[in-house]
Amino acid sequence: MNQTHILSWILFTPLIGAIVLLFVPRQLDNAQRVIGNVFGFLGLAVSLPLIWRFQIGTPGYQFRENYDWIPSIGAHYSLGIDGISFLLVMLTTILGAISILSSWSAIQNRKKEYYILFLLLQTGMLGVFMALDFFLFYLFWEVMLVPMYFLIGVWGSDRRLYAAIKFFLYTLAGSVLMLLAILALYYRAHEVAGAGAAYTFDIPTSLGAVPQFSTTLQRILFWGFFFAFAIKVPMFPFHTWLPDAHTEAPTAGSVILAGVLLKMGTYGFIRFSLPLLPTDAVARQHIINILMVLSVVGIIYGALVCLMQKDMKKLIAYSSVSHLGFCTLGIFALNPHGVSGSVIQQINHGISTGALFLIVGVLYERRHTRMISEYGGLSTPMPNFAAIYLIATLSSLGLPLLNGFIGEFTILSGVFQVSLRWTAWAVVGIVLGAAYLLWLYQRVMFGPVTNPMNEHLPDLNMREYATLVPLMLLAFWIGIYPKPLFRVLDVPVRQIVEQVNPGYYNSATAQRWGEKPPVAAANDAARTESDSTKALAASAPPAIIAASSEPIAVNTAEKR
Amino acid sequence: MFPPRQDVLRLMPEIILSLSGILLMLIEPFLSGARRTLIVTLAALGSGLALVSTIYPATLPGTAFSGLLRIDGFSVFVHVVVEAVAFLVIIGSADYLDREKIQHGEYYALVLFATVGMCVMAGAAELMTAFVGLETSSISTYILAGYRRDVPRSNESAMKYFLLGSFATAFFLYGIALLYGATGTTQLARMTFPTTPGRERLLDLGLGLMLVGLAFKIAAAPFQLWTPDVYEGAPTPVTALMASGPKAAAFALLLRILATVGAAGTFWFWALWVSAALTMFVGNLAAIAQSNVKRMLAYSSISHAGYILVALAAAAASDQVELGVAAVLYYLAVYALMKLGAFIFVSQLGGESERHMEIDDFRGLAVRQPVAAACFALFLLSLLGLPVTSGFLGKFYIFNAALASRLIWLAVLLAINTVIAAFYYLRVIVVMYMRQPNQTWPPAPMPWAVTFVLSIAAAGTFYLGLFPGRVMALATQAALSLPGR
Amino acid sequence: MTPQLVIFLVLAAIAIAGAVNVILQRHPIHSAISLISVMIALAGLFLLLESEFIAVVQIIVYAGAIMVLFVFVIMLLNAGAEERTNMSRMARYAGVPLAIFLLIELAYQIGAAALSMTPQPLAEDVTRRLSMLLFQDFVFPFELTSILILIAILGALVLAQRGESVPAKGGPKTIT
Repeated sequence: MNQTHILSWILFTPLIGAIVLLFVPRQLDNAQRVIGNVFGFLGLAVSLPLIWRFQIGTPGYQFRENYDWIPSIGAHYSLGIDGISFLLVMLTTILGAISILSSWSAIQNRKKEYYILFLLLQTGMLGVFMALDFFLFYLFWEVMLVPMYFLIGVWGSDRRLYAAIKFFLYTLAGSVLMLLAILALYYRAHEVAGAGAAYTFDIPTSLGAVPQFSTTLQRILFWGFFFAFAIKVPMFPFHTWLPDAHTEAPTAGSVILAGVLLKMGTYGFIRFSLPLLPTDAVARQHIINILMVLSVVGIIYGALVCLMQKDMKKLIAYSSVSHLGFCTLGIFALNPHGVSGSVIQQINHGISTGALFLIVGVLYERRHTRMISEYGGLSTPMPNFAAIYLIATLSSLGLPLLNGFIGEFTILSGVFQVSLRWTAWAVVGIVLGAAYLLWLYQRVMFGPVTNPMNEHLPDLNMREYATLVPLMLLAFWIGIYPKPLFRVLDVPVRQIVEQVNPGYYNSATAQRWGEKPPVAAANDAARTESDSTKALAASAPPAIIAASSEPIAVNTAEKR
Repeated sequence: MFPPRQDVLRLMPEIILSLSGILLMLIEPFLSGARRTLIVTLAALGSGLALVSTIYPATLPGTAFSGLLRIDGFSVFVHVVVEAVAFLVIIGSADYLDREKIQHGEYYALVLFATVGMCVMAGAAELMTAFVGLETSSISTYILAGYRRDVPRSNESAMKYFLLGSFATAFFLYGIALLYGATGTTQLARMTFPTTPGRERLLDLGLGLMLVGLAFKIAAAPFQLWTPDVYEGAPTPVTALMASGPKAAAFALLLRILATVGAAGTFWFWALWVSAALTMFVGNLAAIAQSNVKRMLAYSSISHAGYILVALAAAAASDQVELGVAAVLYYLAVYALMKLGAFIFVSQLGGESERHMEIDDFRGLAVRQPVAAACFALFLLSLLGLPVTSGFLGKFYIFNAALASRLIWLAVLLAINTVIAAFYYLRVIVVMYMRQPNQTWPPAPMPWAVTFVLSIAAAGTFYLGLFPGRVMALATQAALSLPGR
Repeated sequence: MTPQLVIFLVLAAIAIAGAVNVILQRHPIHSAISLISVMIALAGLFLLLESEFIAVVQIIVYAGAIMVLFVFVIMLLNAGAEERTNMSRMARYAGVPLAIFLLIELAYQIGAAALSMTPQPLAEDVTRRLSMLLFQDFVFPFELTSILILIAILGALVLAQRGESVPAKGGPKTIT
């Protein structure tokens, strides 16, 4: 494989920008802004060649770079992307450039530090999606905490300190556990590989050894990684940092937080947690059931909480909990529909929620309040804004022809293959989502202008168009013609599903996903069920049997 | 009888340090005018030369002075750490001493003598020598702790340190005596496991007493009670020295005894395990409650001793001693740099008579002094153990050693402590970056000497955090050079 | 009971009683004098072990030189009787029991160890061998001790200059 350095360029362009900014004198206020933006767009520009150089349909990782870094422990500077990380990298560079642009007038004090930290954050997030070495991965994973912490803490709104510390501590707690899990994996993988093998942090190699571990260890490792990702996503009981962080962060911070940072958690689930699922069917089903429950609870709980928010930003923050619940639900359906739908939904969430946060930012810059009650009837003074806001809302709630629909529909079809019950609950979430988003829109935009301060709000300016219009175009594109995305995801998702859920393809005669005969699926499910109930009956107390075999039972009944 | 040339060469760093200390004392009365610059230059030169001359014995491994000293990779590694600490402390102290009007040559002489003691501790292959080295370094630091004689807190610090420290060294000495009784020698390498049950008992008892003495020196729980008061009362540059130098030397001695004396490993393992766990929690939980930055850093250094003890326990637990030992050494280097940087920064910022030591005094520092504040934030993040900083790799190697020795629970406790620690380190960063500047008190600009020390410490923190390969290889070599059991 | 045992018991009793008295006395000069009796009793114990040299050193250095220094310092400081303070609660409920426990533990362990060991005759010519050891094999720590003493002197100087204002930067400085 020929060595290219394109990933390194993408990764380090923001870092170079940060270093350049370090040397710009503090007095040159405007220059700092300009340089920050230049490097923001440069970061996007260097990532564009990926689009035509990425080879769709090639299995494995592309654009690999691999250098020794700390030979004594086997850590490498190892980068590479597959279809999944490709999409997330593109999402990161696009949203990065847009959010840097959106900070142009929103950030008035300490611009230099702001842009430096933002660019560092970009590097950290890109690194997480590109790293193929656990050590490097962990490094980026942790490093991106610091700039985000400062962005919230320095440039956030009133309760920023509380939010920043909460964000930091939650995430740190998760990631330290992950570090232990990584090390355990590192040692065990070496033991499995035999005495002669070198210690390595290489992600594919380490994960490849997992099936040979004992079930107990697989379980421990899974949960070790789980907390880090679940906190980041965030899954239901671990979500409490998110509303605070999102609400208090500056607009651009919220966009990145919702658009990219949360995706690090779901990315982790796909890349690491799926291969770490115990090979033992009972243990696996047990875990899957827990995760499914948590996802569905997250979807519905997030949506219900949204309905009672008075603060626009908080509402959108909670809507993230709900939307990300769909993503995790799709991932743990363990079939191609679910996983690729989940990735697409992640991209969609980045676009729609990013746009919604930008929209709140637009209002906040004009009125310096986020309270819904302060607004009303804004469509009269700001018609163009109203149009864009409507598109963003519709895309977020999943209207056909817009991006949200594609993601949610694919996820639901994936989940449907596993269980009708979860699908039904998730659909409730969609309905609630439509309710809170439309209600928000109605309260803010429609009706007479109740507050005299809103009567003469200026409509969008050029810079705001420049941040919002590209996102709208992407939303339409994915909504109307999502085929390229599915093509990109096809091979990597299939690889993952083959590895994690081999039964899915074994029993299916057709190789292309989506053409799986229902009989085979039913057979699959029936087999899993009988296996698991047998094993469970031998070991577990009756309550657990009931709990863990229930969804499968429903599923088989449905198929028959 | 003059010792052979090789022995003298192997002892070169100690000789240079002592001679420059004595020289400083001798010439000081004759100096006037540009006194300060000359004294500081001389002292820095002395420690710098010692640092250079340390490289030389590295090519001459072996024992010196009839087997009392052992020059191997291990002792050279610790020598370098200790001498570099002395070098940076000397440069970093100058402005502080001026401000407190205690600018004397004796101060630097004492720092140099203390370094001699630490160097001897690092190289000692025999317990009496180790003891004299321990006393040399301890007594110098007792005096340095009380160097601000007009300040009651400094006196209290010196007194407390002296009383408790002497008590601890007495334990250590008693331990040596019992060990001698059990094995008939004080040479570490010749100590064999005694076969008669009575002697075995004496050996255990002696080792236990020595552990108590050294645990005091490294501020390991339950012998850490003195630390906050002493660290807080001592002049801050001295605190920087105490937190990094003697601790490294004491750990080195502990490691050498642990690695060389048979029976030490099994005997100490559980003691180390419990002490490590206790030390981490005691240090971190108490640090949360502090409002004085210096005191907070003192507690944090207790917790860091706990982290290092985890690696020690790992070394005691497994057959792969070198993994644990290398982790200890690496962490010592990392820890010395970041802690020293943090304390030197605090010493400058404290202002006259160390008046501004409350966390609140750091308000809005990032606006006033962005570069210095960034350095301090870096040290704090490194103490917390975030990637890219050296603290992360140090902690990583400790995790690594602990898991390799299957000390899973200890590793989990360490992880929990990292999160607890985040809380108080972040609080300082919050105050520096996210609060409005203090209007009543504009901090003085950083003098060049302090800037120099801070930038070296910061550069080292990055270097050790990004490219640990070389130093870690040295640490591993050092660990392998320890004579095994 | 051999005469040696009788002498040992007497000397040991004197040593312990003296040591306890050092702590109990309220006036420093009384404490110092008790300490002398401890030193002399210890010297006697060394004699009993046939270590004449150490016994003599004990008397000359400790009972002689160091104790004279002590007494001088006490007189110079004109130290009066100390005030008694109540023991802190921590000391009473944790410190004292732990100290007693440590004492018992040490006594038990050493006693048990000593019982199982056979006494060995001391080599001839102790003084000569001792000096050979000190000035040949252990010459390094011996020399290092000189630095230690230097530090002690330095420390006395530094800490004793109490209250004296330090000359301004650059000015001449006197060391007394």
